[in-house]
Amino acid sequence: MSIMEYNGGSVVAMVGKNCVAIASDLRLGNQALTIATNFEKVFPVTDRIMLGMAGLASDVLTLRDRFRLLVNMYTIKEEREIEPETFAHLVSSTLYEKRFGPYFIEPIIAGLSKGSNKPFIASTDVIGCINFAKGFVVCGTATDKLFGVAESLWEPDLEPEDLFETISQTLMNAVDRDAFSGWGVVVHVITPEKAFTRYLRARMD
Amino acid sequence: MATADGGAYSYSLTVFSPSGKLVQIEHALARVAQGTTSLGIKATNGIVIATEKKSSSLLMDTSMIEKVCMICPNIGIVYSGMGPDYRVLVSKARKSAQGYWKIYGEYPPTRILVQELATVMQQATQSGGVRPYGVSLLVAGWDLNRGPTLYQVDPSGSFWAWKASAIGKNMINAKTFLEKRYNDDISLEDAIHTALLTLKEGFEGQMTEKTIELGVITVPSEEEIAAGMAVENAGTMRPKPTFRRLTEEEVKDYLAM
Amino acid sequence: MSLSNGAILPATLASGTVKKVIEINKFLLGTMAGGAADCQYWETYLGIQCRLHELRNRERISVAAASKYLSNLVYSYKGMGLSMGTMICGWDKTGPALFYVDSDGTRLKGDLFSVGSGSTFAYGVLDQGYHWDLSDEDAQELGRRSIYAAGHRDAFSGNTINLYHVREAGWEFIGNYDVTKMHYDGPGDVPGAPVGGYGYDVRIKTV
Repeated sequence: MSIMEYNGGSVVAMVGKNCVAIASDLRLGNQALTIATNFEKVFPVTDRIMLGMAGLASDVLTLRDRFRLLVNMYTIKEEREIEPETFAHLVSSTLYEKRFGPYFIEPIIAGLSKGSNKPFIASTDVIGCINFAKGFVVCGTATDKLFGVAESLWEPDLEPEDLFETISQTLMNAVDRDAFSGWGVVVHVITPEKAFTRYLRARMD
Repeated sequence: MATADGGAYSYSLTVFSPSGKLVQIEHALARVAQGTTSLGIKATNGIVIATEKKSSSLLMDTSMIEKVCMICPNIGIVYSGMGPDYRVLVSKARKSAQGYWKIYGEYPPTRILVQELATVMQQATQSGGVRPYGVSLLVAGWDLNRGPTLYQVDPSGSFWAWKASAIGKNMINAKTFLEKRYNDDISLEDAIHTALLTLKEGFEGQMTEKTIELGVITVPSEEEIAAGMAVENAGTMRPKPTFRRLTEEEVKDYLAM
Repeated sequence: MSLSNGAILPATLASGTVKKVIEINKFLLGTMAGGAADCQYWETYLGIQCRLHELRNRERISVAAASKYLSNLVYSYKGMGLSMGTMICGWDKTGPALFYVDSDGTRLKGDLFSVGSGSTFAYGVLDQGYHWDLSDEDAQELGRRSIYAAGHRDAFSGNTINLYHVREAGWEFIGNYDVTKMHYDGPGDVPGAPVGGYGYDVRIKTV
């Protein structure tokens, strides 16, 4: 039994033209048993940064709270919003702090830089090794499938609506081939003007 | 109560006197006021910090004394007061800046480092078995968030942001001089000259590259900022330093002008 | 497996293209769980033996005899890695009959079985809704609803459901149902089925 597959779930993020998208499935499982179909794995960090986590559900919630604390402390101390790049480093150091007894999650960070509105995505492994990817990042039990679908669907400079369609199809088709992910999908798209969230009608088996 | 010998309530432990003073801190400030003059001036495109370097003997190799110190590539500091205490604070500040870099992958904004230093200095006023630091600091730095900023930190742990300030022996006169000379659109070159002129007031002996130390913050251009933040450099980011100690040759040139 | 006026035999498909209900002959059905190849091969083989029995004895084999044949067969391979969990179901002289047979050698006669990774979920619905004199429509609906539950809750079950109904004249294929469609919209215009989706959140309108 792998702890990373105990609860199931997957997250993916993609870069578009002046926008980013991040999406997760909604399943919370106990091995093969589906416990809930409303378990979101993507959380807001600031108005322009989102953090997605796949892995052990209790660690997802613990780290969501921990990062909220750390970012609140940062915002108060520095009197400014944290930048996506800086937040990625914060995630990395927080995870490496537990190098010899890690949190069982793989995080994905997606956001827009404040000044330049430059899209930013990154992922790390369970102990915080950062991957600054160009186009898309994936994690969770459907990682292999997500890589496959994203590799063929993603292209550079997609407009927000096209990016939404691309990330939606990528995640939905990948999790349909993964027993531990699926049961609904939520997609977030961040643009300089606005951010929107959509729940998709996905397969429920 | 603050008599020359310290009077009552003047223990190694910092305690309030009945009138509400912390005499130990006043002693520390008195020590700062005896120290050599240091000053800082903020310009439109940078900051200059300057200090007088005194040696008690002709035989001393003054080129090995370093009063203006780089804390991290975007922050430099100078002091008036006790040299040994300053050295300890520089070491703590550098460690703090590296600790920040380790967590966030970038160097601290000036204000954060100043807060950190101020906290260290404040703790010395409230802990048992220690005395307050006998220094005031001038901290000059540049960051993306606030641009160039100049701070002063006192032994009490108080800190302020200045357009221009002076600490040490001639601080009262120096500040009056700066108030007269300062204007909001002064250039860095002008600020450096103003700094040297200010030090000249009440300078004992000859002002040479051996007796003056200068440090400057240069505000980077848009291109330099963009290059430092490029995603390709992320994680291994080594931004071009914005703080620099001037060499003896450079100081000599400024003095000659 | 529910059984009323006949036997209901629903099953789920893992790949969407593999038939999990194997039509042994016009009166006999077998289900597939565990090793797909084992089930497919030996249940087809069982079909051949049933036909030979028919030719030799001029009468159809009983469900009991057919299931016993399979049971004895898999027992002879015990310890060699066969993996089968199957239900043999049909109609003979004695009426409707249902047997559970697995590769351990277990063979059980019963009114109600469910096999496979999602079996517990199906049992939950099945036990709650089963009654000995269920109408054809209600029995079919109970079968559909049971396998839907397994398809929804079990990570290893899902896609589509195949529903068979066994009566005196032999088995009849009732239909193929998409689990997700059942979740959101229900099985469609089908006798015995309620209007609307089976999904919990769909029913309580949280979506």
